[in-house]
Amino acid sequence: MPVAPISAIFSISDRNKPMAASEANATIENAAPNRVRRFFSAFRHLFDRPVTAFGTTVFLLFVLLALVGPSIAPYGANEQVYADARQAPSVEHWFGTDNLGRDVFSRVLYGARVVLTQAGLGTILAVICGTFLGLVTGYRSGWLDEITMRLFDSLLALPALLLALLLLGTVGQSQNAVLIVIVVVYTPIVARVARSVVLSVRTKGFVEAAQLQGESQRWILFREILPSVMPALTVEGALRFSYAIFLVASLGFLGVGVQPPSPNWGLMVSEARVYASQLPWALFFPAAAIALLVIGVNLMADGVKNTLQSSD
Amino acid sequence: MLGTNFRLYNKRLFIPFLLVIGLLVAACGGGASQERPPEPNEEIPAESAETEASAPEEEAEMESDSSASATLRVAMQPIVNSDPIAISSDSEVLVANHVYDYLIDIDAQSNIIPRLATEWKASDGGLTYTFQLAEGVTWHDGSEFSADDVAWTFERLRSTEGTPTADLYANIESVEATGDLEVTFKLSEPNSFFLYDLSDNHALVLKAGTEDADSNFNGTGPFKVDRYSPEDRIELVANEEYFLEGQPKLDRVEIIFFNDDAASIDALLGGQIDLAMRMPTALFVSLQDQPGLNTVSIPTNGFDLVRLRADREPGSDPRVMQALKMATDREAIFNVVQQSFGAIGNDTPIGPLYESYFDPVLMPPTRDIDGAIALLAEAGYDASNPLQMTLHTPDTGGRPDLAAVLKEQWSEAGVEIEISVEPESVYYGEDGWLEVDLGITGWGSRPYPQFYLDTMLVSGAKWNESHFADEEFDQLANTAGTTVDDSARVGAYRGIQQLLIERGPILVPYFFAQLGAISDQFENFEMKAFAGRTDFRDIQYIGS
Repeated sequence: MPVAPISAIFSISDRNKPMAASEANATIENAAPNRVRRFFSAFRHLFDRPVTAFGTTVFLLFVLLALVGPSIAPYGANEQVYADARQAPSVEHWFGTDNLGRDVFSRVLYGARVVLTQAGLGTILAVICGTFLGLVTGYRSGWLDEITMRLFDSLLALPALLLALLLLGTVGQSQNAVLIVIVVVYTPIVARVARSVVLSVRTKGFVEAAQLQGESQRWILFREILPSVMPALTVEGALRFSYAIFLVASLGFLGVGVQPPSPNWGLMVSEARVYASQLPWALFFPAAAIALLVIGVNLMADGVKNTLQSSD
Repeated sequence: MLGTNFRLYNKRLFIPFLLVIGLLVAACGGGASQERPPEPNEEIPAESAETEASAPEEEAEMESDSSASATLRVAMQPIVNSDPIAISSDSEVLVANHVYDYLIDIDAQSNIIPRLATEWKASDGGLTYTFQLAEGVTWHDGSEFSADDVAWTFERLRSTEGTPTADLYANIESVEATGDLEVTFKLSEPNSFFLYDLSDNHALVLKAGTEDADSNFNGTGPFKVDRYSPEDRIELVANEEYFLEGQPKLDRVEIIFFNDDAASIDALLGGQIDLAMRMPTALFVSLQDQPGLNTVSIPTNGFDLVRLRADREPGSDPRVMQALKMATDREAIFNVVQQSFGAIGNDTPIGPLYESYFDPVLMPPTRDIDGAIALLAEAGYDASNPLQMTLHTPDTGGRPDLAAVLKEQWSEAGVEIEISVEPESVYYGEDGWLEVDLGITGWGSRPYPQFYLDTMLVSGAKWNESHFADEEFDQLANTAGTTVDDSARVGAYRGIQQLLIERGPILVPYFFAQLGAISDQFENFEMKAFAGRTDFRDIQYIGS
């Protein structure tokens, strides 16, 4: 039974209800401390392979920068020192300055918070919405499933960026609009993944046992089925996160959903591109930050998959 | 279920990586899609211009062979309108300016010069103008040119409703052919700038009775249309019958359409075009040391302005605009946003190039943050109740940079600004720009300042974006526009500068420069402030 041990890593333990069907069916009936240990051991696997360790380190580094960046940045994100405008990288300005005399290093630091917050929050919301919809439609099936899935199919038919631009054109441009866009663009994908797992799990013995036992639908969905969906969702969430970073940067590059002087890396690249020959550093560093973070998150997502697979 | 996802790993990692690389490459190569083609309205704001890449490289390569002959290849944004009454962008005016002739023209120094009209005189207290026309002028179809054509053209320009020229020529009472080669205009009231009005971008003379002016290209001009491929290029060939001896000096002109500044600059560097006009300052700077190219920068009367609506809060209190002006460091803006090309602004549309009208002594006060804070406090804004506004700006040229710098400078006086960068079509679309409280608008270069006053600042003017209404100003503007006495006009313009600096609703941080670069195989290139009016008749191919 490959599903249960994995789900054990992720399921939120609720031991107050004795004889829950999942527990009755689960091949491992370990004590809570064991689960916690398993969770941390899964986390440790993120550093097992050098490639994964690199990805995880890069990601954690950026998270750290997002948290403390503004307090360690030598200049303000929008502080303009006219006398220093258009300076090449130096001891004072590690990444040089842009055409308005802003310190590129400081802006990249501030940008980490902007990008990670938007992409992270958007992804979390998309995963929550997608999971809920996937669970419900997959379990209930019938017309609700049909309608929702056809709707998602039509959303998926549009390229993510195009859909994002369409949405921003309709709901107006703001930071919140970008969040909504990420949710709308990625919810269908997450929902599809969740639904596919639900479909394969719903006929399993432990689900049927729970049904026979007369458990409420909510209990079955969130306590029996959700744990089986979690591994796939975690991987999907990590992947979506890397795409969301890219989407946030792309929208910034296109100048929608974000307004200057925001240190959004995409917007920084867009602003610097006209100065590509004059001030290449103002273009390079924010672009490198996007590349590094996206690659880091992807490597980490790969590590998550590895961990989960090795737990099988 | 996990295994299936897992196999996709490499692909999934690779695609974002490729995208990032693609973004970098696009950013480096594709730079500067700064400006949008034709504006919604001709005279409205400034720099229209270049946008995204259109002329593919293989076509450009095909062209490189023809540089051996006296062919000038020019990069320009695609043309949309070709009927002179409807043209607006640089490229449209450039094409029309070489296929047709103006009655009178303007030189690079904004002086009135003859073209189809060889001489003229004003009489009747400035109410009657009589023009003598050049002899030996023929249309491209071989027919004779006459005064009737001129009369017909101006009748069409002033009577076609919904065109900018209907307003411009509303003051013309009649226009008649008073001889084979003599035209007489009668005005309803004197207009000191009537000759400038006649040289308006649209005022190209068409053959009387022309109905398909948007497609037949039957002009008297120095070049004939040889081939027009919409969205690709327009090829012009020298008019052998041109009425001016020895002109044009080129055999052919090819106007190749580019939507993207950076692409046209790449083509210029690669020798696939010979001339590019209008480009962002940053690209221009990158061309300055290139061998084989001559770069040209000329000051113009065009400018960006920041204006605050004066008919409602908070702009209805003039102290607010005065405080914003005091909080602005014009020199810093000029240096970082314009890289010191052009001239520092004086908060009026009357710039240093209008030599006799411009008063260099009248300049806005120097930056004074404490003064600005004090003025804002008087107007009721302080740290507990800060002035908060949204600054709207089109996404073209240096305007977003200007907005970012102003936000930072004004924040020192406690003003909180949100920036809203909008595509030019959105900013000017549906006249939204006339409604917002605080906006940045670009105004193109005009050879005389009256245009700006009459369309932008006089009470009730069509593009009075600041909703400014000031009786004294209206009187001064009226005097400047109608008096035939030069010193009275100069006096009125100086009064206007004084008034606008003291209580005007506009902040003009700089006047632009017009930037261009041409292959050193050509000489006698004299760019004009409005790039589309640049005259190719004297340009000569000298080879390498």
